[in-house]
Amino acid sequence: MPQAVIAFIVRRLIVTVFLLLVVSLITFGIFFLIPRLAGQSTYQLAEQYVGRNPTPQTIRLIERKLGFDQPLIVQYGRFIKGIVVGAHYNAGPDKTYCPPPCFGYSFRDQQPVWPVMMSDLPVTASLAFGAAVLWLVGGTAIGVLSALRRGSFFDRAAMGIALAGVSLPIFFTGLIALELFSFHWPIFPNIQFVPLSQNPYLWARNLVLPWVTLAFLYAALYARLTRAGMLETMGEDYIRTARAKGLPERKVIVKHGLRAALTPIVTIFGMDLGLLLGGAVLTEFTFSLHGLGLFTVLAIQNNDLPEILGVVMLAAFFVVIANLIVDILYAVVDPRVRY
Amino acid sequence: MKRRTTFGLAAIGTVAALALAACGGSSKPTSQSTTSAGFNAGITGVVNSSSHTGGTLVFDNSSTPDSTDPGNTYYANMWNVARLYGRALVTYKTTPGASGDQIVPDLATSLGQISADGLTWTYHLKPGVKYENGTAVTSQDVKYAVERTYAKDVLPNGPGYFHLLLTDPNYPGPYKDKAPDKLGLTGVTTPDSSTIVFHLQKPFADFDYVAAIPQTVPVPPAKDTGANYQLHPVSTGPYMFQNYTLNKQFTLVKNPNWSASSDPNAKQLASKIVFNLNVNADTIDNNLIHNFANVDQEGSGVQAAARSQILSTPSLKQNADNALSGFLWFTYINQKVAPLTNVHCRRAVEYAADKVAYQTAYGGPVAGGEIASTVLTPTIVGYQKFDLYNALSQPHGDVAKAKQELTSCGQPNGFSTTMAFRADRPKEKATATAMQQALSRVGIKVTLQGYPSGKYFTDFAGVPTYVHQHNLGLDVGGWAPDWPDGYGMLYYVTAGPAIQPAGNTNIGELNDPAVNSMFDKAVATTDATARNAIWSQIDKQVMSDAVILPGVYAKSLLYRPPNMTNVFVQRYYAMYNYSTLGLK
Repeated sequence: MPQAVIAFIVRRLIVTVFLLLVVSLITFGIFFLIPRLAGQSTYQLAEQYVGRNPTPQTIRLIERKLGFDQPLIVQYGRFIKGIVVGAHYNAGPDKTYCPPPCFGYSFRDQQPVWPVMMSDLPVTASLAFGAAVLWLVGGTAIGVLSALRRGSFFDRAAMGIALAGVSLPIFFTGLIALELFSFHWPIFPNIQFVPLSQNPYLWARNLVLPWVTLAFLYAALYARLTRAGMLETMGEDYIRTARAKGLPERKVIVKHGLRAALTPIVTIFGMDLGLLLGGAVLTEFTFSLHGLGLFTVLAIQNNDLPEILGVVMLAAFFVVIANLIVDILYAVVDPRVRY
Repeated sequence: MKRRTTFGLAAIGTVAALALAACGGSSKPTSQSTTSAGFNAGITGVVNSSSHTGGTLVFDNSSTPDSTDPGNTYYANMWNVARLYGRALVTYKTTPGASGDQIVPDLATSLGQISADGLTWTYHLKPGVKYENGTAVTSQDVKYAVERTYAKDVLPNGPGYFHLLLTDPNYPGPYKDKAPDKLGLTGVTTPDSSTIVFHLQKPFADFDYVAAIPQTVPVPPAKDTGANYQLHPVSTGPYMFQNYTLNKQFTLVKNPNWSASSDPNAKQLASKIVFNLNVNADTIDNNLIHNFANVDQEGSGVQAAARSQILSTPSLKQNADNALSGFLWFTYINQKVAPLTNVHCRRAVEYAADKVAYQTAYGGPVAGGEIASTVLTPTIVGYQKFDLYNALSQPHGDVAKAKQELTSCGQPNGFSTTMAFRADRPKEKATATAMQQALSRVGIKVTLQGYPSGKYFTDFAGVPTYVHQHNLGLDVGGWAPDWPDGYGMLYYVTAGPAIQPAGNTNIGELNDPAVNSMFDKAVATTDATARNAIWSQIDKQVMSDAVILPGVYAKSLLYRPPNMTNVFVQRYYAMYNYSTLGLK
């Protein structure tokens, strides 16, 4: 790997750490500082994490245990320290050790956040990568064909379906898919995530509907983007030159047309995949898949601040890393870009 | 005790799915080929009584347990589930109908024996009861389980009745206990390994109900892992934990050391029980209807889409039960917010309310419930029907009487006040709107104010100073009792000592000496008949004080797949009893 590329990656990784710190600071501020500024006392904050009819003593105990009685800077410092060196939490008869990167201790589950997030990650990753393959291949292919057959029946039909795909929310298409293919015609009955390592066939079978549902939304978007890009590119002078030089049409389309049109696709793909790895909220909720998206929904529902903080950090990490990979891929897709 | 409500994200999708289901839903053979005992049969009798063994029962839950640790849970459905792997000192009689509210011995040989002064309650353990690992259960283990409920910094979720009732209220819990055996709570003594004695600060005649809470399920100290105990509570019931992936799934298998002869309250029929957590609520309903799941663990009833489908399809309706859920949905009328400080103004609100609109806001007679005229619900021991404000005889409101009361209050043209509700609960918002419209008929102008449900009690409606400052004269609320008698239902919403500076549930701020003294008298009355009569007197006094406007006795539509056996609604839990279920 060229030294310039390595230097570029190192620089970006350093920026990534800085970015994550900023994200953590903002998220922490939103959930811990703003309620205080709005007048919520730490006693009231603690009251949300005890059972019904708690005594004031109980609330004070929880306030102390969760560290709300400490200054905010101390609480934030403890959070960052946990990520770097780990932390110990009072589990009753003994202490639970949360090894680094320790993203805190769930107020509700009374378990370290990081292992729970990591157990959910394979679900989200399976969903996101599978759907990404479908929408990237399907969306790009349809976009190219539509551009090449501009104004044809195929073009109009494909773009009409694409418009529907962009417009219909996942919880609509997902429930329709479930009703049709899981309950009415039980081709994919009783969908539950099965790890790839446990049974590849069941892994795929249980994810077909979520993949298709999720990919339908994105493929539609990518088809429209690819079509627009291809239409613009195929009208460029260098395409005419390539044809004039006698290059086969397939080579003109793939090597010169599609390659140039792909640059914005790669950019948006990186962003989309990075965001999805942080949790495909609606798809996971609709299909009851226990990934980071469902984790996020529950964390918000339960007002479980460490879980919210953890999943925001993880999602930010994925987005930043995905962007880094996209930047590296630019050089492959577009030879004009060098580091 | 909390009965969690589910939320539906996919309103549009649900309608569409329902339309599809309506088109072709009748083609499912699984839900039609099996006979069952008919609509509401599970409320009064046992459906598909059988001793057939084998199979895997599947429970779906749209949420997660607050904890599977019997000592750290406050959810009704988890108290029901906990009977599968834990035996409390006493429990509810496993039977449908009103007798299901009756307390019977479980781990103990009999109900509690009360001392003459009413200050000690003694229980003797049945001999030969074992944990899943074959070791014997001792009274010290029950005491240790009770001690754990004091460790609120580690186990915060469960109720705190032992802490409130027993002597030694400053006991810090076993994890900070200086005694070598960690059994330093002096409020509980164990003269021998099969006897446990509870020492009360003052007489409390309802103590058997407290002993029925799963917090008396024994915990062997050596196996206690504190906050992590939820991952594998050591079983004394017919089933034991095989595995638990937090927030996703847990599986119970048969406990080889459980003895049916000592436990007439439970059965061990299915080979395995799987609990799927965080399943989409509409998917759960579809799973039940298509036999992919057997039980909706939360037991709060099917969602709107499935409800329509079930009620309109006879073959499905015969497998459903429209049971009272035990909840009362109501509106607090705060007697500290002017002019509601005057009882006549409060009574004007009672008379003017449109109960039919209230019922409609909660979903109508099936999904919402029955129009209520009392604070005690019909499922409560001691309930007596009465109708002080013509809620039943004039369900759309008695405008004439309301105006008379306004005149007596000195506000003949009405007044203005604010009504609080939980903004993320559409039914409460609809209720507030219905109240606003109904009260406007007599000149009472109501401004609506929504608050987030997570902070409703901690920051807003449950904080008396906030209520006074923001003129929150009316506050939408609801209650289900921790046990089915007047104390469980009435105390925390109407007793003066229950008023708290934050997290208050007596939002009407009633502090009526007559009511308070009746509570004192009731909890010291050991004769159940006499005690139950007092609960009804309190109910009448509270209604006379007009600090609570009863809305509906909540109901839910439960669905029992026809392949399940021994299905019935346990009235106390207001859901199917989980300890006897099997499969055909």
